[in-house]
Order: sequence, then C-alpha cells, then structure tokens
Amino acid sequence: MRLIVSFAQGFVSILKGMAITFLNLVGRRKITLQYPYQRPNVSPRWRGIFYLPYNDEAGRINCVGCTLCAQACPTGVITMTKMGAGKHASVNAFTMDLGRCMFCNLCIEACPFDAIHMSTRFELASVDRGVSLLTIDKLAQGGADAVERTKRTIEAALEQEAAAKAAAAAAKAQAAAGAQAAEGADA
Amino acid sequence: MTAMQPAVGASTSSDMTINLGPQHPSTHGVLRLMVALDGEYVKSCRPVVGYLHRGLERMMAARPYRQSVPFTDRLDYCASLNSNLAISQAIERIGGMAVPERAQYLRVMLCEMNRIASHLIFFGTYAADIGATTAFLYAFRERERLLDLLEAYTGARLTCNWIRPGGVASDMPEGYAQAVCAFLDGFLKELDAYDTLLTGNPIFRVRTEGVGIISPEKAIAYGASGPVLRGSGVNIDLRRTEPYDAYPRTQFDVPLRTEGDCLARYLVRVEEMRQSARIIRQCLREMPEGEHWGKQPKVFRPAAGEAYSRTESPRGELSIYLVSDGTANPVRVRVRGPSFVHLSMLPELVRGVKVADMIAILGSLDTVLGEVDR
Ligand code: SF4
Ligand code: SF4
Repeated sequence: MRLIVSFAQGFVSILKGMAITFLNLVGRRKITLQYPYQRPNVSPRWRGIFYLPYNDEAGRINCVGCTLCAQACPTGVITMTKMGAGKHASVNAFTMDLGRCMFCNLCIEACPFDAIHMSTRFELASVDRGVSLLTIDKLAQGGADAVERTKRTIEAALEQEAAAKAAAAAAKAQAAAGAQAAEGADA
Repeated sequence: MTAMQPAVGASTSSDMTINLGPQHPSTHGVLRLMVALDGEYVKSCRPVVGYLHRGLERMMAARPYRQSVPFTDRLDYCASLNSNLAISQAIERIGGMAVPERAQYLRVMLCEMNRIASHLIFFGTYAADIGATTAFLYAFRERERLLDLLEAYTGARLTCNWIRPGGVASDMPEGYAQAVCAFLDGFLKELDAYDTLLTGNPIFRVRTEGVGIISPEKAIAYGASGPVLRGSGVNIDLRRTEPYDAYPRTQFDVPLRTEGDCLARYLVRVEEMRQSARIIRQCLREMPEGEHWGKQPKVFRPAAGEAYSRTESPRGELSIYLVSDGTANPVRVRVRGPSFVHLSMLPELVRGVKVADMIAILGSLDTVLGEVDR
C-alpha cells in the first residue's frame, strides 16, 4: 500500500514538474545569446578596457603624469614616463599590463584629472600575451595621432612658456640695466 | 601471484581509495576528496585543500589598507560584495571611519542581492548534484538577471568591489529601484515554481531528508555558522545578534529548522532568499537621501591597534581581523571564512554513508573553494 501511495505521489510530482518545464518552454522568450554573432549590451558603468580621453579643445590627453593612479593600483599595472613640467605636463609613455589588472576601478577613482576611464569593451581574449600590454598608442582616445598631437601641444606650450620667460627675463634685465644707467647718470 | 594477494577486482579487496576531484563537477571548485570506499560505502574521507591557495592574507597585508578590498572579491567569488563589506568594516573600525546613513542602506541592499545570487548558485548546483538539471538552468537564469542588476550598479558581474571603507563607491544609477523591484516581483514567483519543481519533489526529499544530520552540539563544537548552523536549530544570525549597517532598522525573519539534515539546510537557504527580497524592498523604501561615501582621508594611517569585524555572508560568519602598527600597511590580515570550517566537518559527516549521499552532504554545506584556500 505504501508503495502504491509513494508511486502515485512520485507520479504526480513528475506531472507537476513537467507542467512547469512546459510552461517555461512555451511561455518564455529565449534569454541566451548566440555570442559571436550577437553581443550583449553591457551597462554604461561596465568596467572594461581602459582609455585615456582626448580633450579636443586643449588638443591633448588629460593625463598630466602625476602617477597617482599607479600608486593606487594594488597590482602595479601602470607605468609611465612624464614629459614636460609644471603646468604643461603629460606622458609620452603610459603602459598598462592588463594581464595583472583586476578591473577594480581604484586607479580611476584616484585620478584627480578625470584622465583615465574604463570603456564598455570587454573582449580581452587573445592568443598572444603581448596584446594585453597596452601602450599609450592603444590607450589614448584617437590612438597614436592623439599622442602625437599631445606631444606637439605640450612642446609648443613649453616653448611659449620658455619664450615668455626669456622675454620677461630680458625685460627685467633691460629694466635693471636702465636703472643702473640712471643711477650712473645720477652719480 | 601468491595466495595472499587477492586478484584485482575481486570482492575480497573490499577497500578502495578513490580521488574525487580536484576536477570534479560535484566539488564546486578545486577540492580533492580522498575517499576510502568499502563497496558503495564511505569508510573515510580526507579533503585535500590548497589548490587555490593564493596567499591572499599576505597579499592584503603587503598593501595599503584600502587596496585590500579588491582582493576580497576573490575570497568568496559567489558573493563578492559580502566579502567587501567584511574588510571595509574592519578598516572602518581600525581607522574610526563613519559610514553615511544612505551608504548603510545601499550596502545592505547590495549584500542581500548578492546573497540571493549566491543562494541561487547553491540551489542550482545542489539540484544538479542530486540529478535535477532543469532546476539548475532555471536558477542560473534568475541569477543572470540579478547579475545584470549588479552590473548596472557596479560595472562588474562577479568581482564587484563596490563596497569600500567609508561607504559605497557610487550611488544607484537612475531608475535602479524600479528595476530591482521588478526583478523581485518576478523572482518571488519563480521561487514558488522552484518549490514545486524541487522542494516538493519526493525524489529530492528522499535524497536529502535525514541525510547528513548535524546535531546542534556538533555544529557549535565545529564552529559552524550561517545556514548550516541554523539548519541545526541554533538561532544565530549575525545580522540579528550583532547587527551592523542598516540591519537594526530592517525587519526580517531568521529562518530556522531543527532537523539538521541536508533538507533543512536547503530549506533555510530557500527561505533566506525570500527574506532577502523583503530586506531589499525595505531598504529601497526607507533609504534616506544623502551621501554615499563619506570624506576620505588622503593618507590612511590608523593608530596602532587591532580590529575584528564579523559579518553574515551567505555561507556563514565571515570575519576579518586586522592588526595595525601605525604604518600605511596592516601587519596582519586574517580571514575567518565559513566554508573552511564547514568543510572540516565533512569527514565526520560522511563516515558510513553512501557515495551518492556524500555528494548530497558536500553540496548542502555549500562551500566555496576560493574562501577555503584563500
Ligand atoms: S583597475 Fe585596479 S588593478 Fe587595474 S590598473 Fe586600475 S587599479 Fe590597477
Ligand atoms: S591618469 Fe590621472 S592619475 Fe594617472 S598619471 Fe594621468 S593624471 Fe595622474
């Protein structure tokens, strides 16, 4: 008797389960994506591959080479060399080794100039290790061109600054010489 | 061949040692179980851990305090936000940081969302362990929607790293509360369907009822926590007994079962998902306006001392102990994870049971190897 009851119960539970699976079969949109042909729309906050935004107005990338991001990184992903000085500074090398990166967002939060961002690109797989080493040409928004333009902007600004300084120094020297001459005339 | 040696495969050589794992679907990670079998029965079982050892505690101790948060993502990777919370709390305690009220609600909401995601993994993989693949697919479908929500908030699906010392890294994106509520509405309905599919299934019940019984005394003696402890009738939930963040201001029930078997642990987790949904709704409703992240000191050098934070992760008590000597890096970081403790109960639990029951028992403990090995 017990056997029959448990058999009946099992049978009913199978029917119930089948009803649910059937409802799911007919009453639902497919939720899977055929990946290489279809790509997911990731959220705008997605933490994907990095880029250094290019500032069109200023004609340069925002980064000033302050190394704050490199200091904030727990795994030492970021290395850079600074170019320029003072107000007119940027980087001429900025390398990220994505093989070590955790996409933790700490570098982005550390940057005071909003100069490093994460994009929604997420396809990192490659057959070559070198691909995960992102140089500045790959990182800068606008590629090597943007880097070149940044370099020119910085150099021009530095030259201008130097010229202004030289002019100021010359003016000062002239003024000093004039004053001396005046002193001489007095004496 | 001498007469003393039994022939290979002869039934007289009753003992056989087999290795389950380190690559085995039922061990949920790289866990190796050395099992001595007498026919279908387990004579002894020795878990071999350490395949996933990365030295996380040492890595965290070698870095400034706030840089250790992303490493905790890799502890319990099914519930990264809960691990983030544990370390953030420890750092807040050692540095005396305050958390804005809105951030407390955001944290609780995120943690509970991650708890549901984690329990859905348990639900799905446990069903799959026992042989019900359909429930596995359904659970992962729901979890996928939840991960999409986490992605919309934090930008990452698994290693979120969004709860930080002193708050939460960002506020909710626009329209997030509605999206979460819509998900919860659908999810609770699904959960009822799962109950019909799995909980009410006589085969599932036969496989889990009365299997792997943990008495309350044994659970306490081993230091079990979370659903394993509450499945044995010990009513301890750190969200209740030592409430933190916004938990004192939320109402929820702590599910409790007294049977102590696999089914009890399963039922506790399923019920916890419902309670988590309740907590998330309350958080969304009662969340005050305000800051999500308090002002942060530029350099963080806490005074010499120590701090201990206990949190209720989906698997149990996840605690972090920090020792500071006044410099920018901690001297010692120690993680007390629930999975390690639960795994240490396994040899005793599986002695004398059948192999298939051993899988059921291991699954019901819901261990995550990332946190066992650290
Ligand atoms: S995301 Fe994290 S690991 Fe990656 S470069 Fe930034 S700070 Fe370093
Ligand atoms: S990206 Fe930002 S933080 Fe990093 S060096 Fe450039 S300006 Fe500094």
